[in-house]
Amino acid sequence: MDLKESLAEYFKANADYFNVEIRLQQYQVQVIGLDSLVDLPQSIASLQTQTSNLVKTSLPPAKLLKILGELVEPNLASIIPDIMKGHLILLEPLSGTCCAVLPISKNVTRSVSAPETESTVYGSSSSFLEDIHTNIGILRKHCTGSSLQVEAYTAGSSHPKSLMLIYQEDRIKPQLLQSIQAKIRAGLHQDVQHIQQLENMLGLNKWSFVTNFNMTELPQNAAHALQQGKVVFMIDRHPFAIILPSLVMDMFCMKDDHNYPRTFMYLIRLLRIVGVLIATIIPGLYVALVSINPEVLRLQLALSIANSRQDVPYPAFVETLLLLIVLELILEASVRLPKSVGPTITMVGGIILGQAAVSAKLVSNLLIIVLAGTTIASSTVVGFQNAVSVRVFKYLLIILSAIYGMLGLLAGIVVICAYMGHQKSMGIPYLSFPTLNQKDDRNG
Amino acid sequence: MDKLATIRITFKFVLLLVAMVPFVTGCWDIKDINHRSLPVIMGISLTEENQYKVFLDIPATNETSTVNIVSETGDTINKIIDHISMNMETQVDLLHLKIVIVDKNFARNGMEDIISAFNRSRDISSKTLFAISDQGLDQFFSDMAAKSEHSGNIIYDFFEENAGWNPQLADTRIWQMFRSIHSYTHDVIVPIIRSGRSTSIECMGSAIIKNGRMTGQIGSDETLVANAFYGKSAFGKVEIMDSTTVQIISNRLTHHSWMKNDKPYLRSHLRLKVTILDSRGHLTEEQIKERLEALLTSRLDQMFKKTQKEQADIFALGQYFRNHLNREQLRDWRTTYYPNLDFKLHVTTIIENRGNLKNL
Repeated sequence: MDLKESLAEYFKANADYFNVEIRLQQYQVQVIGLDSLVDLPQSIASLQTQTSNLVKTSLPPAKLLKILGELVEPNLASIIPDIMKGHLILLEPLSGTCCAVLPISKNVTRSVSAPETESTVYGSSSSFLEDIHTNIGILRKHCTGSSLQVEAYTAGSSHPKSLMLIYQEDRIKPQLLQSIQAKIRAGLHQDVQHIQQLENMLGLNKWSFVTNFNMTELPQNAAHALQQGKVVFMIDRHPFAIILPSLVMDMFCMKDDHNYPRTFMYLIRLLRIVGVLIATIIPGLYVALVSINPEVLRLQLALSIANSRQDVPYPAFVETLLLLIVLELILEASVRLPKSVGPTITMVGGIILGQAAVSAKLVSNLLIIVLAGTTIASSTVVGFQNAVSVRVFKYLLIILSAIYGMLGLLAGIVVICAYMGHQKSMGIPYLSFPTLNQKDDRNG
Repeated sequence: MDKLATIRITFKFVLLLVAMVPFVTGCWDIKDINHRSLPVIMGISLTEENQYKVFLDIPATNETSTVNIVSETGDTINKIIDHISMNMETQVDLLHLKIVIVDKNFARNGMEDIISAFNRSRDISSKTLFAISDQGLDQFFSDMAAKSEHSGNIIYDFFEENAGWNPQLADTRIWQMFRSIHSYTHDVIVPIIRSGRSTSIECMGSAIIKNGRMTGQIGSDETLVANAFYGKSAFGKVEIMDSTTVQIISNRLTHHSWMKNDKPYLRSHLRLKVTILDSRGHLTEEQIKERLEALLTSRLDQMFKKTQKEQADIFALGQYFRNHLNREQLRDWRTTYYPNLDFKLHVTTIIENRGNLKNL
């Protein structure tokens, strides 16, 4: 079976496979590729223009093909990956030479658009929503220094994907870089389709409650991370820059803050810290105060809470969990749903359900306030992953408060602090400040 | 395989710990806030059969009524509370108790037992205020119930420092009463109240409490001076000779004490900063100062004489002799030394400003 037949056999289930013969100078050449990735007529035209412009007219086929592209071994194993990448294979059947040409490709990407999951007030509003090369191009525009390094890897055996490792050579700690590179090299056979697989590859803690990565759509955030000596990963077809390691200050700080006056920048960050504290502590505090330690409350407040809890059949713990779960459902639903249906869910969930739950005496008025405050506060955090960890910690505090009251709340806070203190990613403690590189005076 | 086994064991261990959590707590006897009654005031009187009668003033948490007054008689206070709790739909929780009111007869007979009981029991905050009712408690509480149209915690607000409290009112907590019983050198004053005619509560001055027993009474002007002595007189107003009123802004006390021939001597210096609020006639600043100093000195002197006679050291002057007397001698402070104490108070006032008065 010759190469042409075996290729046809291999791609027989792919309708977009083509194999046409064209004439280049004096040779009949087979052009092989995938219709969906290659603009065939334009590519053929370009090949013919190139060959007709050659001064020397009688070249051996190997020489000719070498001018047009990169020579490859004429066997299935080496050709198929190139075809899958969207390359064009030229095969001269008489001599058996074969080359892979970079064709004019079909345009399967859009133009650069505005970010969709993160919003900016003052700052560049382009985003990483495109294919990997465009994304790196965008990043390069933000990071114009010469020290930016982009290493390309192809990871995975069944579905190879290109994985880009980006860092600034003069900012990153050498140990961090070396350990990451070593992990990637050792794990190149693993598929990297999503973040969990990337975690696997890098040997990070899979069960961590704090996020190992920060993902951002905003090129300025990625550039800022590079400046701080962090590493940015880009996976093909994953429209986010994945920043490693993730530190606690990433919850509160982002690059756009530097576009505010300095005082406001610090005040806004303080506000985010307060937001995290409110989001984690307040529901637990409510449970502790209402069911176990009401003596902490001022008398007037105690009386008004008792008044609003009049006729509520459930203990505070059940009541809080009930409404919190409804809130989580609303949140999850409004993330999943298309933008046109989202507001309906918000309205039904927020207004109708909240109001009805109070009138039906299922929950108290105060709880509605507490939970609304909690939900809003947990959204002040930078980055969706960080907001998720804040949401998780809240439940630990609620459970401990329901059992041990104020003491449990306090113990829970200590436990959370200890847990965060214990977390490390690639040898960098989660609670460390972003002074991975001392040379940068604009850290934080 | 080995790793998997470790994970499994860890998982089982964690599961066991989680399962045990409910058993190590007291979470089965938790009552939510709406299932507790939060009495603000407790009234205690003695019946003719020498039993306690306890009144509880419970602000209502529903819209229809504002205050609930329950009472019960019994031999011990805890038993009475328990009995009330049994008969009510909610559990009586004394953690929010703010004021304990006893009637005058009971106070004269001695309250040592109940104060020790309060201080020992963990349900009642030792910060709870103490007051003495000038009238019978039945009358007092029924008046309160009649007047509590809008809010169930009038009395609480009356004593609340950022609501109704004035420096003319004594401010004594249970722990201070307890200290007065067990200390050789410390006695206290306790406000005397009754239900008022136009206002809800009227203050009748203060009772002098020695060893948990009411021994005498002082007026509200004298209470202000006593509070000045304790350093709590800020914003108290003093009227001089029916013509001028000054407001105390701050005060500072210094003491000098010594023993000579087994007789204690104490010289105190009270520095007051005042501001003039209003003035009739044409007194000069010097005159105001002189008269104010004379007035305060004479009031304090009078009060001192009175307490000396009753051997109740409400100014805690004995504290200044703790390094001159040994513990055996201190035991006799009230009986032996205090009546012989040579005490001179010197008052200096500084008129900080004349308020809004252009000419005096």
